Amino acid sequence: MSQEHVRTIPGRYEEIQNICAFMVQGAKEAGLDESALFHVELACDEACTNIIEHAYGDEGQGDIVASWQIDGNDFIMMLHDDGRVFNPDDVPDPTMPNQLTGEAALDSLQVGGLGIHFMRKLMDEVRYQFDPDQGNTLILVKKIGQE
Amino acid sequence: MTVWHEALAGDAWLVGVDGRLDQTQNRDLENVLANLLDEGYIRFVVDLTETTYINSGGLRTLVTAWRKAQHHGGDLVLAGLSPKLQDVFSIVGFDQLFAIYATPEEAKKAILPE
Repeated sequence: MSQEHVRTIPGRYEEIQNICAFMVQGAKEAGLDESALFHVELACDEACTNIIEHAYGDEGQGDIVASWQIDGNDFIMMLHDDGRVFNPDDVPDPTMPNQLTGEAALDSLQVGGLGIHFMRKLMDEVRYQFDPDQGNTLILVKKIGQE
Repeated sequence: MTVWHEALAGDAWLVGVDGRLDQTQNRDLENVLANLLDEGYIRFVVDLTETTYINSGGLRTLVTAWRKAQHHGGDLVLAGLSPKLQDVFSIVGFDQLFAIYATPEEAKKAILPE
């Protein structure tokens, strides 16, 4: 396993681009192609947005600890926060608005479900760990050479 | 990023997004579309030719405005998506939801009433 690269960034929307640039740099070093780099950027963006919106509840409530490492054919991103429990597995896939009518269609898109749907589609693995003392850790894995 | 808008014939509007459509900038687009909808306009072309990035927040804004426009008998169509943006739309099936045109000119023709 390669050395772990870690960066701690305030949980603010304006910082998300910096976190994702850090992850994309790691993905480049892992040899992922252009399309996969974009997927890494977008999945990181959605993960950080969910941390700020749902784990912390707002901007400026805590830090996001971002890290990446390469393990064999896996490019592994980890995002850690000290906010409240937020397990993406508890959020159902959003129902697409063309399959629903009325306000229910919009409601289905408002709860972070769309961002999680993106993460699941863009990454090969999405795992979540919660520790009552340590907080939330989201682990996103992209397979190298299978883009 | 800049969000700009200009009036078209037939009470339609061309709304453009230059740069990244992400969480920091999304509110500008949200405000422009919400204000025009509040003023009673229901036909929109959103020009994404110069849009370099979009996330789920940007998609939510577009879907919200699309639904409101459709609810009032209008429409919101998209134009000029790069392959990268098309990728994002197709991941969540929104390429089937929106009418998407290659250029703003084609979209304008489609949105204007007969």
